[in-house]
Amino acid sequence: MTLTTDRPAAPPATGRPTEEPLLRIRGLGVSYGTGARVLDGIDLDARAGEILGVIGETGSGKTTLARAVVGLAPVTTGRITVDGTDRTALRGRALREARRAGAVQYMFQDPLRSLDPDLAVRHLIGEPLAVAGIPADVRAERVLTALDLTGLDRALLDRTPGRLSGGQRQRVALARAIVTRPRLLLADEPVSALDASNRNHVLRLLDRLRHELGLAVVVISHDLDSLAGVADRIAVLYRGRLVEQGPAEAVLTRPLHPYSALLAASAPGLDRTRRAGLALLRTPSPAAPADAACVFAHRCPFADADCRELPQPQPRGADRTAACHHAPAWREHLSR
Amino acid sequence: MSVLRTTARAPIARTALAVLAVVAVLALTGGLLAPLDPLAQDTARILQGPSGAHLLGTDYLGRDVLSRLLAGTGLSVLTAAEAVAAAMLLGVVPGLASVRFGAALSWISLRAVDALMTLPFTLFAIAAVGVLGNGLHQAMLALGVLLAPLFFRVTRAAALGLDRAQYVEAAELMGASRSWILRVHIWRKVLPTVAVTTAHALATSLLAVSSLTFLGIGVQPPAPTWGGMLAGDLGFLAQQPWAPALPAALIMLTVGALNLLADAVRDAEPADAVRGAGPADTAVRKEHRDGLAAV
Repeated sequence: MTLTTDRPAAPPATGRPTEEPLLRIRGLGVSYGTGARVLDGIDLDARAGEILGVIGETGSGKTTLARAVVGLAPVTTGRITVDGTDRTALRGRALREARRAGAVQYMFQDPLRSLDPDLAVRHLIGEPLAVAGIPADVRAERVLTALDLTGLDRALLDRTPGRLSGGQRQRVALARAIVTRPRLLLADEPVSALDASNRNHVLRLLDRLRHELGLAVVVISHDLDSLAGVADRIAVLYRGRLVEQGPAEAVLTRPLHPYSALLAASAPGLDRTRRAGLALLRTPSPAAPADAACVFAHRCPFADADCRELPQPQPRGADRTAACHHAPAWREHLSR
Repeated sequence: MSVLRTTARAPIARTALAVLAVVAVLALTGGLLAPLDPLAQDTARILQGPSGAHLLGTDYLGRDVLSRLLAGTGLSVLTAAEAVAAAMLLGVVPGLASVRFGAALSWISLRAVDALMTLPFTLFAIAAVGVLGNGLHQAMLALGVLLAPLFFRVTRAAALGLDRAQYVEAAELMGASRSWILRVHIWRKVLPTVAVTTAHALATSLLAVSSLTFLGIGVQPPAPTWGGMLAGDLGFLAQQPWAPALPAALIMLTVGALNLLADAVRDAEPADAVRGAGPADTAVRKEHRDGLAAV
């Protein structure tokens, strides 16, 4: 089963990321009521056909990043463009029309809360199309296509979310997200509530869909294991700042930021050899200045007086940045 | 809607529905079932006890009590229903609108409701018929206006809880309009709460119509109503101490069935917070209690 897209600017469904980013985030800052920055100075790209993993601990701003992209969080600084359209400039009717077009979709973390408990699966999946005014017969056909793509049994069409398993609910949420034939899909912790079997199934599904649909997929997760096998690139957030981004393999095996290294070393499913420096990475430096501007300095084993100055993301090789004054020199301490 | 289906399966709800079905049949056909003319007076047979000619006796004008009870069912129930329909229109629609159509509308409607809730029922009804004229529809409109805050606050409280649900946020992300969200995601979940409130309001309204008739407001003699018969019989307690029990029993039976049905609907509502209405649900019930107490 394949899903062809009728969008005029659809990318080739080859699975290979195109060079021009579909999602481009520049200088993104998000603040809530009190004025405290939840996100600050985020620069991030995602290309069509690519899976970008966004990782960080709870409260690092991962979900806020995704919500800002879809217009659910207030953007205070910076720009977010999707396929050349500035999403941060959209208001009122223009925003509603852009949402109805369905080019950007967001999968909430908890499908039990994001799926209306009174609606049957056919209505849940078909709702974005109904809102957009797609005729009922076309809608029915596309609902079935989305259902098949996500591997859901058609016998589930008349069930409500309460009568589905966790994995089925997650796939219904995914089917609803892809039924509009989006260009960009943001999935917030899509597998955090699933068992290993369903987790693998959903991750494989995302991988397949980005190939078949040429989707740019942003997967938000606190679990490095979930991203390790599926993401092409990984961006690491810490306390609202992007500390490192780059190809997944490089970030996981040769992290340039001490926080990325700590995450990689802490992942239980990863290689033991990578966990060798865990004790050192968990030991904060006594030389860390109290007035450090670096967000990770208070936990960093390598922090020193340089960290009083906020480190900006610096290019470190092809398609890779890290925001650390000591990258990559700190790695030498690990090998001693 | 599953709440209503669950309600229909509960034995207590079925009993209440059976009683209400009988009342509904009587309301529609009571006049035809009456063995005698409910308005025909026979001054030679006033205040008589039950007999073969008059199964429930006669009243102080010699009218057949059974015929008047049967013929009065329709007027009693329909007037109460009219008042509740007016209250629903004036309460539910603004209650839903106040949640999703801006802070200004919300503030204005809340202040209007606060003002209405301070008005004493009897005085307002007398003032309303004084301004609009003494008639059945005027009295019911006055009653509807006073019951409207109950519907407004209960609907608003329920809708407020649902408005913050994540599936509503998801619908907004699809580009759904406010009216779509109200219709598809909020209304059907508010409906069971409105059903509970309606059942309680009907019961309250039935008693209020009886009270108004007792005061000479609304239904005018000689048209028979349960409340009017109750008021008339109370003047002759020395001669027929049991007579008020007949219309009172019908009022109690109907009110009791409505309350039981309302309780069954409430009990059928899911207690979990899947709908994001956990704390809001408590607020709805408090609004409900406060509103009924105010009326």
